[in-house]
Amino acid sequence: MTLFAADLNELALGIFGIVVAITLFVTYLASKRMSSATDFWAAGRGITGAQNGFAIAGDYMSAASFLGIAGLIYLFGFDGFLYSVGFLVAFLTVLFLLSERMRNSGKYTISDVLSFRLNETPARASAALGTLAVAGFYLIAQMVGAGVLIQALVGISFELSVIITGAFMLIYVVAGGMLATTWVQIIKAILLMTATVVLSIFVLGEVGFNPVELFNRAAEESPSGNDYLAPGLFLDTPLDTVSLGLALVLGTAGLPHILMRFFTVPDAKAARSSVVWAVVLIGAFYIMTTFLGFGARAVLGTGGEEAAGDGGNLAAPLLAEELGGGAGTFGGDLFLAIIAAVAFATILAVVAGLVISASGAVAHDVWSNIVRKGRDSEKEEVYVARIAAVSIGVIAILIAVIGGSGLNISFMVGLAFAVAASANFPALLLALTWRRFNTTGAVAGVLVGVVSSILLVIVSPGVWPGPDSEGGAFSFYDLANPGIISIPLGFLACYLGTVLSKEEAKAERGFDELYVRSETGLGAEVGTGRGLTGRTAEPDREPEPATTTR
Amino acid sequence: MSPVKRPEGDMPYADGGRTPTREQRDPSVADRHDNIDWVAAERSPEFKELIAKRRSFVLPATIFFLTWYFGFVILAGYAPDFMGESIYEGLTVGYTLALSQFVMVWALGFMYLKRADRDFDPLARRAAEVALKSSRSGGAAPSTEGEVTR
Repeated sequence: MTLFAADLNELALGIFGIVVAITLFVTYLASKRMSSATDFWAAGRGITGAQNGFAIAGDYMSAASFLGIAGLIYLFGFDGFLYSVGFLVAFLTVLFLLSERMRNSGKYTISDVLSFRLNETPARASAALGTLAVAGFYLIAQMVGAGVLIQALVGISFELSVIITGAFMLIYVVAGGMLATTWVQIIKAILLMTATVVLSIFVLGEVGFNPVELFNRAAEESPSGNDYLAPGLFLDTPLDTVSLGLALVLGTAGLPHILMRFFTVPDAKAARSSVVWAVVLIGAFYIMTTFLGFGARAVLGTGGEEAAGDGGNLAAPLLAEELGGGAGTFGGDLFLAIIAAVAFATILAVVAGLVISASGAVAHDVWSNIVRKGRDSEKEEVYVARIAAVSIGVIAILIAVIGGSGLNISFMVGLAFAVAASANFPALLLALTWRRFNTTGAVAGVLVGVVSSILLVIVSPGVWPGPDSEGGAFSFYDLANPGIISIPLGFLACYLGTVLSKEEAKAERGFDELYVRSETGLGAEVGTGRGLTGRTAEPDREPEPATTTR
Repeated sequence: MSPVKRPEGDMPYADGGRTPTREQRDPSVADRHDNIDWVAAERSPEFKELIAKRRSFVLPATIFFLTWYFGFVILAGYAPDFMGESIYEGLTVGYTLALSQFVMVWALGFMYLKRADRDFDPLARRAAEVALKSSRSGGAAPSTEGEVTR
């Protein structure tokens, strides 16, 4: 078969079916354990460190990093690897600065931490804005990517692919909440790692298990020769490279769906160990994607460039087909089908995580705490969360279907990271560490971070004046990645907003409490969840009654 | 869900109103521990020691990883030729430095886990115990069981 033909790949559909059946069974189990808001957003805080590490990996390794980075490496060589390095190093920022503090002082959302010491309504509203901006851009990018990939790999139409993806995403979240989402992410991480290990072994087998030989073969097959193994083919503006690096390393620490994962574990110890589990998995995965990318170059040569499509997204599936025995053989079809199913599972796990974090911003922050001022019942909160998840999901599906496959995905992922690094990260970090920080500073920082990121991306050369343009609004501004400007602007706005406004006595007094709580874990909510199988994450702890403090 | 049974409504503060009143709002954590003197807790030598110990690891580690990472990124941006030089039969400087980032992340991650288990957690427990003891409420004495074991 050819990748772009509209014929149906029954084998891939069959494997999809198996994956979906497993995830639906998990969702069914999870749905029986859902009663409180803590169950819905935080899986009852009963996820173990190791489980959460797999789930973070599953939440984080999107199709963009699986197929996208392998594709970038296939097309441009070394520059694709730069993304991987940034994506991974970012977890040190999370580990050192946020993971334990989030677990100790938050409940379900980023806003919980901000509103702890700042004025509730403005702090929550701005943090919810930051969350929704990041989750929204990321979600739409993932949905469009899902449509393009499934269309190409399975042969069903773009629109139907988007709708199917969105439907499963909503089933997981609405029926099974965070517990189902977590297990979908764990299953996906295991599938993705297994597929990548197997493909890597096949690739390395081609070169006698000598990675250096792989680089040479790849460079020989590239029209750029040895430049293929050096930076600069894709990221040819040095300042832009640095700007991208900055957004990657700080952006992860502002991604709501990743930070939310720390609320699902029983304590800070599990939170930090989950980060280390995650970096072991994610790091191993990214090293293997270089084998896939360079391997695709060595095996497919320049001949695969057209079939690999925009951004080389289909390079990894094509490589799998070739390694399985080539197009038309059973082995080739089987490998392609497996990779297609893994890619589908990958997307499902990421979009489910995004929707549940966005539902937290709408239901917990805006509805429960701003509109209802915390006077709603827990039942109402979970009910609104489900409505919010469905609404957000349907809006994302509609935008993806209307925008169509031509929507510029990489620009939206870049934008999500830029907003996360410029708006969410500065406000969170300063709320946790700076005594003088106040509400005005937080609101100013988030607004400036969001607006400057969006504006700078709009006027960037790749976007202005139209899709895939080469122009840019201003001749002196040629950065595709706004981070190096928008991140300092976000911090500056936090600072200026704070020092130029009146000192906020409450914010400063509240600092002592937040500081002590976030550093010691004193009074942090303990786990009530029993996990999917009914076992507690911490078997040695006495069972505690369900949360009823709301 | 907390072991502390809090009476309805906010309790009067024994510290003369220094502790902030957080009006009708959703507490971001389960147990508000309204009777704890947070200012005193923050000033306790135990808490200061925890902060100093953690900072003595996190600050140098953060400076190191940011330097090593941005060194790599800046070289990739501004010195592509150097990054493309072969160290060993096609293994480039760039790829080697990229791999060194992976090793750094794993090494710092495990070092932090070890330090946290060995040093930070016991200090955090002690600081929390001191904070709980400092609570001046006449109400039910907070049971520390399950509260500071984290």
